[in-house]
Amino acid sequence: MACKLFSSKRKSLERNTGAGYLFLAPALLFYSLFFIYPVIFSFIVSTKRWNMLVPLSRARNVGFSEYSYLLKDEMFLGVLTNTLIYALLTVSLTITIALILAVLINGAKLSVLWRFIYFAPVVTPQVAIGTIWGYLYRPNNGLLNSILRLFGMKPVYWLTDPNVALFSIIATAVWAGIGGSMLIITAGLKNIPQDYYDAAKIDGAGPFRQFFYITVPLLSPTLLFLTATGFIGAWQVFDLPFTMGRNAPARSVMTVSWYVYETAFQSLRMGRASAGAFLLFCIIFVFTLLILWIFKRGGIKGYE
Amino acid sequence: MRKSLVLLLVAVLSLVGISGLAKTKLIFAVHWSDYQVEGVKDEKENITVKGLRQYVEEYQKSNPDVEIEIQSVPFDDYLKRILISHTSGVIADVYVLYSLWGVQLVDSGILDQVPKDIVDKIKSNFVRAAVDGATIDKAIWGVPVEVDNYALIYNKKLLQEAGFNQPPKTWDELVAMAPKLTKKNPDGTIAQYGFAFLSGWDSAVVHPYLALLHSNGGKMFTDDFTECLLTSKEAVEALEAELKLFKNGATDPAASVWNFPAGKVAMMIMAPWYETSLKLGFKDQYEETVGVAPIPYLKKPATAGYTWFIAVDAASKNKKAAWDFIRWMTLQDAGGFTRMGELMAKNIGAIPPNKTDINYFKGELDDLYTSVFVKELENTYQEPNVAQGQEIKTILMREIIEAWNGRKTAEKALSDAKVQIDKILAEFYK
Amino acid sequence: MNKKVTKIFLEILRYTIIVFGAFWMILPFFWLFSASLMTPQELLSDTPRWLPERPQWGNYLQVLKRVPIFTYYKNSVIVATSVTVLVILTSSMAGFAFAKLRFRGRRILFSFVLSTMMFPVFIFLIPVYYLMKLFGWLNSYLSLIVPFAVSGYGIFLLRQFVMTIPDELLDSARLDGAKEFRIYSTIILPLIKPALATLAILTFIGQWNSFLWPLIVTSNAQKLITLPVGISRLSLAFSTTETQHLILTALVYQVVPMVILFLYLQRYYVKGFVLSGFSNL
Repeated sequence: MACKLFSSKRKSLERNTGAGYLFLAPALLFYSLFFIYPVIFSFIVSTKRWNMLVPLSRARNVGFSEYSYLLKDEMFLGVLTNTLIYALLTVSLTITIALILAVLINGAKLSVLWRFIYFAPVVTPQVAIGTIWGYLYRPNNGLLNSILRLFGMKPVYWLTDPNVALFSIIATAVWAGIGGSMLIITAGLKNIPQDYYDAAKIDGAGPFRQFFYITVPLLSPTLLFLTATGFIGAWQVFDLPFTMGRNAPARSVMTVSWYVYETAFQSLRMGRASAGAFLLFCIIFVFTLLILWIFKRGGIKGYE
Repeated sequence: MRKSLVLLLVAVLSLVGISGLAKTKLIFAVHWSDYQVEGVKDEKENITVKGLRQYVEEYQKSNPDVEIEIQSVPFDDYLKRILISHTSGVIADVYVLYSLWGVQLVDSGILDQVPKDIVDKIKSNFVRAAVDGATIDKAIWGVPVEVDNYALIYNKKLLQEAGFNQPPKTWDELVAMAPKLTKKNPDGTIAQYGFAFLSGWDSAVVHPYLALLHSNGGKMFTDDFTECLLTSKEAVEALEAELKLFKNGATDPAASVWNFPAGKVAMMIMAPWYETSLKLGFKDQYEETVGVAPIPYLKKPATAGYTWFIAVDAASKNKKAAWDFIRWMTLQDAGGFTRMGELMAKNIGAIPPNKTDINYFKGELDDLYTSVFVKELENTYQEPNVAQGQEIKTILMREIIEAWNGRKTAEKALSDAKVQIDKILAEFYK
Repeated sequence: MNKKVTKIFLEILRYTIIVFGAFWMILPFFWLFSASLMTPQELLSDTPRWLPERPQWGNYLQVLKRVPIFTYYKNSVIVATSVTVLVILTSSMAGFAFAKLRFRGRRILFSFVLSTMMFPVFIFLIPVYYLMKLFGWLNSYLSLIVPFAVSGYGIFLLRQFVMTIPDELLDSARLDGAKEFRIYSTIILPLIKPALATLAILTFIGQWNSFLWPLIVTSNAQKLITLPVGISRLSLAFSTTETQHLILTALVYQVVPMVILFLYLQRYYVKGFVLSGFSNL
């Protein structure tokens, strides 16, 4: 019996190997040029002191000292913590809110309109987003503080108070991210066969039961995707903190990518910046494996 | 088929080669914007103020064997772009560079030595602050094209409302006046700032501090750059002088100088390039509202400055042609002035560092705004051209902001900065 | 009866949430349009303005005069469309392989694809620029297109969607003797249309708004300048007050085509795809 199972598995393996590689060929060819080469290059750079102005061959070899420097650097560790907080909050809030809204909008009247409106932040240029949220977050006559004032609460320095700034940026990030996630969830919802819901209705299941027993489980491949790519992206976040957090004490809002960017192109320490990028890669890699493992333990098929 | 393709290729390549021989091509990299490169046009598309393009065309006309291509990249990404293409050997022949970047470029052998006749002219014809800016390790590495410094900008109307007819002369006067120019909301937030510090990027925060540091008789480094002097008494006092304005409630870390045109800021420290924005913001109220004065001093008048200079890449294949163009653009007399001086004074709105130009363009420079900056040139201390200048400046900025937020005392912030900066200096100066 | 009241209550709650959220989402978008019609003074004013006193339609003409916006459009359309087509093609092929074909090294290769997303973009700038120089592509669209032709994000997304297609459906096609390529083109692609539309929108927008790489590449090939890079040339070094209103107007020029694209691709969601026919296979 076991033998038979084994052989049938072998057979299906063999049957597809050629086709599999054929379908992957364009991607693999691309990655060998535009990923493997740059990564090897950057790894070599990370063991050197290179200011990008002298030829790399003349740069001094420093071994792994930039790695150990970073792991002992207070700034880098602080920046890692900020990024971890940012990633955890942004991803969990964005997906939860996007899921609820996508379900509410799916099948609602004027759903095309709503979907477009929620997607608007994705197409709105950074400048407009920055300006508006700047208005909202103003300490003096900003909208948020005006609301707080109505309730007799103390005004908050949303973008300059070191204890608050990171969370203000997270709020904006969630706001900006909902649309994209909603779009993907909606595409997933369209893949759920309608007769599952019909059957549930016949059994007398209300909207909440339908949501938890049909929608969420059947969306799991989509949710896995959003969680994994959400974290991968959030760990590398750059734009929003960089543009919104400029007046906050940097230690309270700086992220790893920002640190890498600044080290590379302002301090001209490409070696240290590359080392930072590799450390970030290791963290994201382990973190992603962890997420896939959690999803798998939760019985969700997605990564096998 | 293949053969003919090869033949065609050879023909094309040789054509390119011939035309390449016939014309010397210079690539000119600048960080200027569209207006500054293309010129300002009126409704009918006529040029009202010349931009760099028009000068280049003029030069090409009189030198038909030279072709100049302008490559402009906005300031934020300018250095990055130079670095990235440079690593692949894609270079510009002529660059306009920020003085602080100069040290790394010179140390890495990127810049060509300046011909002797040009050096002599710079030494005799340019203002001291600009010469300092283009000087790295005791040699001059390019022709200064723009010099910037800082002054106090104040809102005359707001000062008059509070009963002041004169701007403050000393920092103590400023500290005393500022709270009276401040209005608060019932909840304690500031509705009108007595004073606002420039912030948002490293120079914005650090330059005004350097002005106070020099005003207090201090400096940032020893002359040989082996030690950072930020823990000196003068340096700590200079930062404490800033903090007084936070303590007496005249400003806070959320202050924004960009609210000055809205009449919500009474005093600020600003650079020459803000003039056009103020004119736009106040329109016909400009003259009666905007006042400019030297930065109120601690012990002696002083302000901080920085320079942009024009230089040639050492790897350029046409160094001679490049320097010829630079001579024509920045040094040659075009009728009592230089062309670069004209571009700066009329189009870019910056102070030309050439003394002849400063005299010639009195009309443009002697208005209520720029005249103070020009006068202050003699009190201007160029920010030091130190290795890793940008990294050091960022460190100092962070520590100053910590102090502004009350998370560190002036002394703690500056000694924290010194520890980090000394570590960097030890790498480069032994 | 009671049940009906609950239902009505739930519906009211539903629309309240949708409308409330929609208000916050559309705010900056609305402001952008409004601000594009303002004077510089109105933009400088201390109290935020939501509507211009007198709409400055002239702003739109001025932008046309200042920058060759149609050249930028052309370049952006060429680049964004090419990248989108390439990404859709490579992602769906690889996604299909990872989801439905069994072959040695599949899991390792998939982890590899995921790992390509895990490095900050900044470390790629120098080596990829070097490759472009090496290939002689610095003066051509290829330097703006090829480095983005494959997307780990796209592969992962489409793999997740292909996985939801029942194996039985493919196996029955295989019994019919359909070759893998025919399965891919006649079964898989039509079934994942909503996902393809999503990926197309996201890829197109990403490219349409892409700034840093086009800026670096086009700085010595000005004829290739794309929309965001062209618009950035309107701004000054530090203070953007003089041209702020024109920048915002130019951004409207940038946003409108994406709105049209989005509304066009929406129809793939409206129809959607109903798998019900296969659930009892």
